[in-house]
Amino acid sequence: MTKLSAIRPLRPASRMNVWAVISKTFLHAFLICLGIVVIYPLIWMALNGFKNNAQIFGNPFALPIGWSWANYVQAWNQGVRDYVSVSLLVTVASGLCTVLVSAWTAFGLTRTKMPAKPLVVGFVLGGLMLSPTVAVIPLVRMMQALGLYNTYWALIILYTAFRVPFSTFLIRAYMLDLSRDLDEAAVMDGASEGQIFWRITLPLCRPIVVSCVILHVLFAWNEYLFAMIFSSGVGAQTLPVGLTSIMATHGTNYAEVFAAMTISALPIVIVFFAAQRYFIRGLSDGIGK
Amino acid sequence: MADLSLKQVRKSFGNMTILQGIDLEIGSGEFIVFVGPSGCGKSTLLRLIAGLEEITEGTISIAGDVVNHVPPSKRGIAMVFQSYALYPHMTVYDNMAFGMKIARESKAEIDRRVRQAAEILQLEKYLDRLPKALSGGQRQRVAIGRAIVRNPQVFLFDEPLSNLDAALRVATRMEIAKLKDAMPDTTMIYVTHDQVEAMTLADRIVVLKDGRIEQVGTPMELYKKPCNLFVAQFIGSPAMNILPASIERAGAPTSVKLAGGMTAQLPLKTPETATGATVNLGVRPEDLRIAGNGEDVLLQGRLNYIEQLGEVQLAYLDIETDQPLIAKLPGGLEIQRGAELRLTANPEDVYLFDESGRSFAARESAASA
Ligand SMILES: Nc1ncnc2c1ncn2[C@@H]1O[C@H](COP(=O)(O)OP(=O)(O)OP(=O)(O)O)[C@@H](O)[C@H]1O
Ligand SMILES: [Mg+2]
Repeated sequence: MTKLSAIRPLRPASRMNVWAVISKTFLHAFLICLGIVVIYPLIWMALNGFKNNAQIFGNPFALPIGWSWANYVQAWNQGVRDYVSVSLLVTVASGLCTVLVSAWTAFGLTRTKMPAKPLVVGFVLGGLMLSPTVAVIPLVRMMQALGLYNTYWALIILYTAFRVPFSTFLIRAYMLDLSRDLDEAAVMDGASEGQIFWRITLPLCRPIVVSCVILHVLFAWNEYLFAMIFSSGVGAQTLPVGLTSIMATHGTNYAEVFAAMTISALPIVIVFFAAQRYFIRGLSDGIGK
Repeated sequence: MADLSLKQVRKSFGNMTILQGIDLEIGSGEFIVFVGPSGCGKSTLLRLIAGLEEITEGTISIAGDVVNHVPPSKRGIAMVFQSYALYPHMTVYDNMAFGMKIARESKAEIDRRVRQAAEILQLEKYLDRLPKALSGGQRQRVAIGRAIVRNPQVFLFDEPLSNLDAALRVATRMEIAKLKDAMPDTTMIYVTHDQVEAMTLADRIVVLKDGRIEQVGTPMELYKKPCNLFVAQFIGSPAMNILPASIERAGAPTSVKLAGGMTAQLPLKTPETATGATVNLGVRPEDLRIAGNGEDVLLQGRLNYIEQLGEVQLAYLDIETDQPLIAKLPGGLEIQRGAELRLTANPEDVYLFDESGRSFAARESAASA
């Protein structure tokens, strides 16, 4: 009797332990598999950039024989450099514009008294509903009229316009939670609206602003529809468009295409790993509030 | 010199009137405390003075100038928020320097004033820290420091101690009292729920209820001469006992008959017309004592419950009214639950209020004035 009662509490505990270990092992195994599924194509793509066509077709899954950068250099020189610079410019400029416009809008929507504010909020957030595909034709006409068709300015403007509603939505949710006392304290300290925005509210919104920037970078770097329609001219093509044109012109040299794709994916992968913490928070903040 | 004057100040949000006609004169260097039940408009009144809310009607003047449309930062006012409202992304130093940086003061001047305030508040060690790395009491001191560096004429505090624990509250209360002594020319207005804070800090207390001023006076005036039932019950802890009674014979002295049948002679003047009127008789728990032999008994009842606090004990007596009667008796006194107690009080410590709740004493002094 005494023995039994002494043992009894042990058994469920040890069984629990076994289950915990098993489930943990399975979880880890699952996550590792998932990671391989996601990362393998990327690595495969990068490795194929070091081969030539014969190797790619003859032995697609083998490691490259030599580690020559020739394909990468060639891809870089045959246009990828220009595409990367246009993509960088468009992404950075539209990202900055989006965040600043959204933050100002959100500040106005959360911190000022204005008539029919819910209507204005609805109007701004209603932009989320606007499908880019539907808007393409009027936008083409507009850009032609403005003389911006086939320039990267068109993309900067469009990316900003189409991303402002979502960023505003995220930043507004965040600002609503910031204490109003801080604004009032700043008012007592003599700060103007602009000073409150730049020196108090915006710095405090840094986490959500970083999330917005990352989401925007992901979007702008990979966007294809607008990029194809508005920047088909030479010198205005972004990477996604440029890559297709490389495929069209150098379609037979697969190794070079792989190299070009690797170069184009690299920045975004780096950004993602550097800022994944913010990326996840941006998503969950957007959902949670 | 910053005397503050409120004339018929009203405030409404939409069609809800929160403050109705506040008249108040505050002298330069005075320490004024606003007290009142939750939701009576204390914070709103403070925010009107600060300029954070627009007043609906009336005027506010500081040092003789009407400031209704003067922006908050130009009123020479500093405010300490209940939540402290420290800028979380700035160090203690920058928090205190922010206002002066906005005003484009010279670096040397900013540095001098911040360090001076830090010294007064013993914050020198923490100047480089962020607010989140400070304790509640330290944050409170930073909030006060931020107000001090602006060198205000008027200091506003909205329940500054309510987020602190009891011990720290006492310590910080004393700091504020010292601050007041150190800045004799600065007018201070302080909102609190806490009676002890009000009684200990105030030069004058303003009792508010439902957006109106009930009474303004020194702590002892409010305690000794409450002008109505509300103030009488609001000031003092436990609250004053209120007993229904009727006036048997008006005049001076007045003879009052309690619901229990006891009569009392009070050295109070009441108008002849009041004879037969139903009134409320008020007596503070601390003014009640056990009646000695041969003394007139004011009240008599069965002891229901005792709260022994050591120094004193609170005796709850059933005297056949809705509320039990509370008497504050010496802690050493041997009393038994269930015993019949006979209590008395000095006649001058007994208050009389008419049916509308006004004190007869206040009515008399108003009539003679
Ligand atoms: N911006 C506002 N809009 C509408 N009503 C308000 C607003 N601010 C305050 N009120 C109302 O005004 C009344 C008084 O509020 P106030 O904050 O001044 O009370 P208080 O005396 O400070 O209370 P407490 O002791 O709980 O802090 C409350 O009924 C409150 O609901
Ligand atoms: Mg309040």
